[in-house]
Amino acid sequence: MKIDPEVCIACEACLPYCPVNAISMQGDVAVIDQDECVDCQVCLKSGVCPVDCIYFEPAPWPRSLRTTFSDPRTEHKETKIAGRGTEEMKTNDVTGRFQRGWVGMGCEFGRPGIGTRFRDVSKVAQVLAKHGVEFESKNPVTFLMEDKKTGKLRDDVLNEKVLSGIIECLYPIEKFEEIMNALKEVAKEVDTVFSVEVINRADPDGSYPLRKLLDKMGIPYYINGKQNVGLGRPVANV
Amino acid sequence: MTHSLHRRGTRESLSEDYVMLCLPAVGVNDEGHAPKLKKFLEIAVRYDPVNIGAIKLGNMYSHSKEEVIAAAQAVTHAVFVKPEQVASVLQDLKEADLGMSVVVSGIFENVDKCVEKAGLKHHTANFSLGIWGNTKRLPSDDILEVATMCGHAMISANLIKSAVDEIKAGRKTPDEAARMLAPQCACGIFNPARAAKLMAAMAAK
Repeated sequence: MKIDPEVCIACEACLPYCPVNAISMQGDVAVIDQDECVDCQVCLKSGVCPVDCIYFEPAPWPRSLRTTFSDPRTEHKETKIAGRGTEEMKTNDVTGRFQRGWVGMGCEFGRPGIGTRFRDVSKVAQVLAKHGVEFESKNPVTFLMEDKKTGKLRDDVLNEKVLSGIIECLYPIEKFEEIMNALKEVAKEVDTVFSVEVINRADPDGSYPLRKLLDKMGIPYYINGKQNVGLGRPVANV
Repeated sequence: MTHSLHRRGTRESLSEDYVMLCLPAVGVNDEGHAPKLKKFLEIAVRYDPVNIGAIKLGNMYSHSKEEVIAAAQAVTHAVFVKPEQVASVLQDLKEADLGMSVVVSGIFENVDKCVEKAGLKHHTANFSLGIWGNTKRLPSDDILEVATMCGHAMISANLIKSAVDEIKAGRKTPDEAARMLAPQCACGIFNPARAAKLMAAMAAK
């Protein structure tokens, strides 16, 4: 994102809109820090500028990743899905992506409201890879991996900053404790924040085995969450 | 795309916050899905949602409800403040048999009651284990309670602070301040009614 200094009237109206605080006043004009800006276009699409001096120029690779990972209205070419992740459990009644006995996990970097460099994402993905998780093939972060067996992201993307990037993976429920412990350790080494989520298919009696495991291990989880209510068709064998 | 999962708040506050999503599975049942998502939104608006959205266009605070419904495709959203509304929408959706996946976000036990009342069974759950990593960089909890209602983080902490300042200065009511934030959340999962209450409390401090 850029601001035309010849047109800016220094009204400061755009400053609070930036999700990563990348706009500041320098003398008589507002300036966007290009290294910190994630090209989410919030400042532009808010329509807050009274003189229309904010503009966006599509960037070449790898900076182009900033918009696709930061503006949920942008569709990823590879996944055909807008936003940062996949349909994950939202369509599990139809896709059968998450079977009984398995845990789906997402680590959503940069959220809420901090942003992330891909180097932090790569650091955690490599730890998860060592514990044998299966990375979601349709996830945009997975597309950036040099090798899904190591979890390492391509060198040329590591310094790119985005509003959010999600690692999505799958593993047998027996590995849950081991992976939680590994995640706790690597969490101490990242510069940004990440929100952690876990997915579980309900048993026939309606209970969630993972919830029992969370309670047993004393891992806190929110009282609120998401539930697929099984209205999708055709019904997956899951 | 876990944009409705990590909403933060007290039990009292979250008890007035329910997000419903309707979507097809890409490559499985997405052919001809747009009219079904429109039907979902038409059903939702019967029960007075505080927000609806279609990701390709925006929400009912940036466009009219009719425009949002007409733009339904990919994924659509509706936000309610009472479990009774959610139960009613689920009952109508069961009858409509759209074949699209439906997800409800909210306090688990409250949502379970709605699902049961509609004669449905929960299928798969997504639990939030909270925020990890360098949490010293986070804004204050009261800011996060408002900010996490836009899961794509399109509503900045600074904009929330500005909105609270507007309330404090008497230039905006809490409802007006919430409407200042709502258009930024393109998906339409932001709950302006809850945001107004939270920001009124922040302004009163």
